[in-house]
Amino acid sequence: MTKAPPLVELRDIRKAFGGVKAVDGVSVNLYAGEVVALLGHNGAGKSTLMKMLAGAYPIDTGETLIAGEKVSIRTPSEAQALGIETIYQTLALADNLDSVANLFLGREKLTPWRTLDDHFMEGQARKVFQRLNKNFTNIRVPVRRLSGGQRQVVAISRALYFNARILIMDEPCAALGPEETAMVGALVKQLKADGVGIFLITHDMPDVFGLSDRLAVMKNGRLVGTYRTADVTEDEVLGMIIAGKRPDGKAEALHATA
Amino acid sequence: MSQVPGWWRRSGVDLRLLLMCVLLVVMAIVFHLMSGGVFLTPENLYNIAQQTAVVGIVSTVMVLIIVARHIDLSVGSVMGFVGVLVAYLQYSSGWSWPAASLAGLAVALLVSLYQGGLTAVLGVPSFVVTLGGLMSFRGAAFLVADGKTQPVNDEFFQRLGGGYDGGIGTTATWALAFFVGIVLFARMYQKRRARRRHGMPTEPLWIELLLTAVPVLAVFAFAAAMNSYRISSKTEAQGFPIPVLIWAVVAVTLSFIVHRTRFGRYIFAMGGNPDAAALVGIPVKRVTMMLFALLAVLVTVAAIVSIARLNAGTNSLGTGMELYVIAAAVIGGTALSGGSGSIFGSVLGALIMQSLDSGMLLLDVPIGKRMVIIGQVLIVAVVFDVLYRKRFGETG
Repeated sequence: MTKAPPLVELRDIRKAFGGVKAVDGVSVNLYAGEVVALLGHNGAGKSTLMKMLAGAYPIDTGETLIAGEKVSIRTPSEAQALGIETIYQTLALADNLDSVANLFLGREKLTPWRTLDDHFMEGQARKVFQRLNKNFTNIRVPVRRLSGGQRQVVAISRALYFNARILIMDEPCAALGPEETAMVGALVKQLKADGVGIFLITHDMPDVFGLSDRLAVMKNGRLVGTYRTADVTEDEVLGMIIAGKRPDGKAEALHATA
Repeated sequence: MSQVPGWWRRSGVDLRLLLMCVLLVVMAIVFHLMSGGVFLTPENLYNIAQQTAVVGIVSTVMVLIIVARHIDLSVGSVMGFVGVLVAYLQYSSGWSWPAASLAGLAVALLVSLYQGGLTAVLGVPSFVVTLGGLMSFRGAAFLVADGKTQPVNDEFFQRLGGGYDGGIGTTATWALAFFVGIVLFARMYQKRRARRRHGMPTEPLWIELLLTAVPVLAVFAFAAAMNSYRISSKTEAQGFPIPVLIWAVVAVTLSFIVHRTRFGRYIFAMGGNPDAAALVGIPVKRVTMMLFALLAVLVTVAAIVSIARLNAGTNSLGTGMELYVIAAAVIGGTALSGGSGSIFGSVLGALIMQSLDSGMLLLDVPIGKRMVIIGQVLIVAVVFDVLYRKRFGETG
């Protein structure tokens, strides 16, 4: 079976903080138009693994391949240049700046005189925020004054506006109301249809079964297994998360099957 | 949690800065009445303005340091060190003043490389690094010339500090005031046009005209005051003092950096949420180093103005200045927790501090009482800051 190489391929990734092996020989991949849910307890190493892909932490050992090519991602900017966008659980917003400044933070549009092109950025920001939430108009107040849902819109817009090819979502629905959760769900489906590959870190089983194509479970820094979401039951997934027990008689799914 | 009304917020006028302007005016009137009509004379205003310049220049950049969640306690000592060095190179080594000043700048940049490097690269708290610097560089100021005072004689150089020949004269003062007025109105017009072109709402014309006219009038009032101060042995009035112009240029430049450049935006982002700043790819270390380098440049400028004003460099130059500088920034609304502050606020803060000090001096308040009062004013400013942020929901 010949196929396009995976969008992301992480091979035997290791990361230790002091003596603690946070990520210990994990390999996982992600194809275009696919959602892979990353599951595990707090401290299982999911977020650390994703932060390495996003350039926030350096990798100790292991290989990263993007679309079949070996890359070395050392900073968040390098990750962004490869089309990797991250929506952090903490949203990673500067509370004292407004939504427009946050949308473009680190990637400001400059005028030919190397000054900030505020009018351009405000115009673009209005458009992208409108797409996600029609009622979001107070875009010039510091984001600390915004509601949880509006803050989420800003964080997601960062990924959307810069045309993410690979999207990492770390608990995107934590602290969101039902309406906003539905909005995020719809967005994931739309991005998927556009061919974006998505890593979804979550604790929420309905999200896992509603949105993901495959799921990868981690425990104590190691990968328990990777399965097609349709092949496993919720109990089997919980067994993997809690006990690290692979489900009996189910085949691992190391590649997208779609 | 109450909110500032919308039309007010859109007008871009900071309520807190307005309150401070009012406070400054009230203070001036009270001191004027209590001192029997001495405070609001051109001579006194001239002196206050030029005395405030040194603290004011350093305060503008201290705002940014505090916004980025750092502090620099060594500014007074470094200014003393650089000041003595610049004076020493001119007096004892016979260098020209530009060469001596550049050498001073180079040394200040080395100091910032050292202190900023420890802070930015190794992550040592700037409080500790600069607390050490506060002591060390005061010692270094002593070592440069063995504690001997270094006179500065170059006439042009002396003008940089204000004083006898330190005004730019009446014609230049009026010309400059008109120029500033034209620039401010032109900027207002250009802003309105740009907002319309991008289809964004604009305020009624009369509001914007009023908001522009107020600062323009203030500039003209200041020009008129400076143009009516004539030293009795001279034929022409002083006009704007040069140190004040230097301060103004510094404040405008830094405001530009804050509002119009990436560097300024990154400083605020780092202060607002350091983790987010790193995660979105802001080069935090480089920005911090650049910030300390900017501080070094302005400390050098302040050192030059300061020795030019005193006509000498002494090893005690700038002693205790860090407190005034930080106080001016804080009174001007800079939050010590980082992420918030304004350059214009620091200008007002420095003026309030200096007016208070000078006003009490005019009233013959003894030094002990003055120190007690100024210290408590700083605390009142911080208490006000805390209450203000609670009321208008600017915390967490």
